[in-house]
Amino acid sequence: MLANIFTKTIRDRWLGVAIATGSLALLLLFAMSMYRNLDLGIYANMPEAFRAILGVPAEADVGSLAIGVLFSSYGAWVLVGLMIAAGSASIASEERKGTIGLLLGNPKSRTNVLVSKAASMVLLTGLAAAFLWGSTYLVSGVLDVEITGMAVGALSLHMFVNALFYGFLAMAIGAWTGNRGTAAGATAGLMFVSIFAVGLLPFIEGWENVTKAFPWYYFNGSEPLINGINWGHIGVLFTGIALFVIAAVIGVNRRDLRGQNVGITLLDRLRSNPMTQRVVNRLAGSVRVSRIWIKTLSEHQALLIITGFVMFLVMGVMIGPMFNMMPAELMDMTADFPEALLAAFGGGDVSTPEGWYQLETFGLMAPIALMVVTIAVGARALAGEEERRTMGLLLANPIKRSKVVIEKAWAMVICAITVGFATFAGVAAGSLLGGLGMDIGNIAGTCLLVTLLGLVFGALALALSAAMGRGKVAVFGSIGTATVFYLAASLLPLSESVAGYAKWSPYYYYLSSDPLLTGMDWGHGAILAGLTLGLVVLSVVLFQRRDLRQVG
Amino acid sequence: MNDQPVIYTEGLTKHYGDVRAMVDLNLDIRAGEIFGFLGPNGAGKTTAIRTMLDEIRPTIGRASILGMDTHDKAVEIRRHIGYMPGDLAMYPNLTGKDTLTYFANLRGGVDWSYVDRLAKRLDADLSKKVGDLSSGNRQKVGLIQAFMNRPEVFIMDEPSSGLDPLIQREFQMMIREVANEGHTVFLSSHTLSEVQRVADRVGIIRHGKLVAVEIVSELRSKAIRRIELDFSGPVEAAVFKAFPGVREVSVEDHRVVFSYDGKMEVLLRAVMDRYDLLDIRTQEADLEEIFLTYYHDEEVTV
Repeated sequence: MLANIFTKTIRDRWLGVAIATGSLALLLLFAMSMYRNLDLGIYANMPEAFRAILGVPAEADVGSLAIGVLFSSYGAWVLVGLMIAAGSASIASEERKGTIGLLLGNPKSRTNVLVSKAASMVLLTGLAAAFLWGSTYLVSGVLDVEITGMAVGALSLHMFVNALFYGFLAMAIGAWTGNRGTAAGATAGLMFVSIFAVGLLPFIEGWENVTKAFPWYYFNGSEPLINGINWGHIGVLFTGIALFVIAAVIGVNRRDLRGQNVGITLLDRLRSNPMTQRVVNRLAGSVRVSRIWIKTLSEHQALLIITGFVMFLVMGVMIGPMFNMMPAELMDMTADFPEALLAAFGGGDVSTPEGWYQLETFGLMAPIALMVVTIAVGARALAGEEERRTMGLLLANPIKRSKVVIEKAWAMVICAITVGFATFAGVAAGSLLGGLGMDIGNIAGTCLLVTLLGLVFGALALALSAAMGRGKVAVFGSIGTATVFYLAASLLPLSESVAGYAKWSPYYYYLSSDPLLTGMDWGHGAILAGLTLGLVVLSVVLFQRRDLRQVG
Repeated sequence: MNDQPVIYTEGLTKHYGDVRAMVDLNLDIRAGEIFGFLGPNGAGKTTAIRTMLDEIRPTIGRASILGMDTHDKAVEIRRHIGYMPGDLAMYPNLTGKDTLTYFANLRGGVDWSYVDRLAKRLDADLSKKVGDLSSGNRQKVGLIQAFMNRPEVFIMDEPSSGLDPLIQREFQMMIREVANEGHTVFLSSHTLSEVQRVADRVGIIRHGKLVAVEIVSELRSKAIRRIELDFSGPVEAAVFKAFPGVREVSVEDHRVVFSYDGKMEVLLRAVMDRYDLLDIRTQEADLEEIFLTYYHDEEVTV
């Protein structure tokens, strides 16, 4: 069955899946080695809300806590994210790139193409889930942690079906609209809403059953790690998958395929409306193209709005009131938490609002959000224009190459500041809403530090982009480096003999000074800013020396 | 100004690893000239142009435009050139107007009434997004972009690909006009007929080497044509075979087909003296045939 489309999709996507699942396995190794040293008594007292959000089952032990925390939350999110990317891209991306015509110029029906893409998604998800399943046995074997009695296979199956559910939903929306952004955005939105609904609704009296309206419930609601496979829930997800596949097939067959066009945005509609034409023309037209950095900014507006919104609302505002749902016994309990465990998720004493925010927002999510934006902008800055063959035209203008690099870097800085500010506003509002009384200045300082941390890796992506002109190299290179440094900064301090080396990781200069409690550490901030500046200067030098690529 | 070359290259050479994309290119192009840069696909035309634009740097040799080194003075040079890249790509999300505004902002100082005139001449729609345009219409936006700041030097890589014949003719008139005003046009192409129509001189490049620089009228006399003549009565093959410049004759009843290089006028006069000619069809031989006939030896020695 269309072995070539099938294998091509696998070839296009395997690297991302491999990197993601590989990092998860590493994190698992790391988390389990932490949890091994814990006093297990604390789990019984663990508050329901805390567990629910992280997806940890009630009867937790070392293995299940590590597996639960990692796979039920991050692991499931990552798998779903990968499949949303694959599903939304399946038809819509080929339309966007203008390759769909060529593809369908072969004697293959649209349904065939769609089914091949779907099959490749099933295989990739299956391999990823199987790899994670296998890695738990490998890791627990290496660390000698008891995991018998835990249904890792059941959890893996739930993860697999769950990821397909969202992947095929994205595919169906993409097949109907031909718009990749709509498909990915709507599906990711549903995922976020349902994760939080399933985590929080059970705490509101009388609303417990409403969770069943959200698909995430059928992934983790039955606690498959403890209770094994829940065939009823799997059945619900499969019914959804079947419906999505049917919808996708109908959708892609009934409509006109889009040319290599760009779609009509809200701004375009406002631009053609005589009432709003003048104002919007300035905004969308003449202002947008007035400078290189402003134009670069406008290219990333969707990413910026989504990331900023998530950080503001989900990771900022909503986390504050949740703190109050934590029962009082948590306060005593956290004294028993070894520092190492907390370090794995960014550290922080969860009995305090600051520690809570550090665990939930600043430890992992804020750096990730910042890096998503800075790396996207940095990697595309130069490599993007080269790969889309517009760099020659841009540089035919009387501007220096260094100006292009610097303006693009400036756009990256503005993007980072925007997301950093959204985080700040969200956390400040969350603290206010929850009556947590956190220090505004300290929040601002922490957000500034995470912004600078994001910029370091964005600038690294820019430098790779400047050196090679290849977007993929820049993205994977900087994400890989960021992951290694993250692990180093979290792992090294656990052993006294190598703790000093943690200072070589940029992460050290983000949270090691406890900025949420002590405020901005200007020395650390200066180091991060200096690294960023150094990498931008390096980018200028590298880009000036090299031949532009000729792509296509 | 006139005794100084506008585009000058000296031993320009570019290697990509073992691949020699361009070897020892020497050009001397003067003001007011339309210089056709002719070669088959992959001959090294784009490599030469990208070197002139400082997109890539020569392995050996140097180039200058308006007396300025293409690398050291790259930014200053770009103030004076209009560039039309081959295989044009622009920002699909921007309208034609936005695209031109962007480049106008980067250049500074563009006469918008001139842009409007250009758009009218080329029949270009600047209100649509570039991504929604057909490739020919996208090409028009690219051409306006190259013309809009009234540059002294035009560097154009296969500029008329995708344009329909009417617009192609309009474009050719436009470059003729700017050349008459003393501006210089460097025009790469892989079709002989296009270059013949507009250029004053033609450089022929093959396998990265410049094999000949010809004045167009001379090149025209060298052009091999495939000719088909219809007569009212039967003709003899021997008559045609004996004619200088005629090869590969085949006679079929009242029709004769042959290859010819030489002056058309001479051939037709001789034929019409002898026979009653009804119809003529001629076809230009392709570039490859011309290369093989005329430049085969030179390619090895140059």
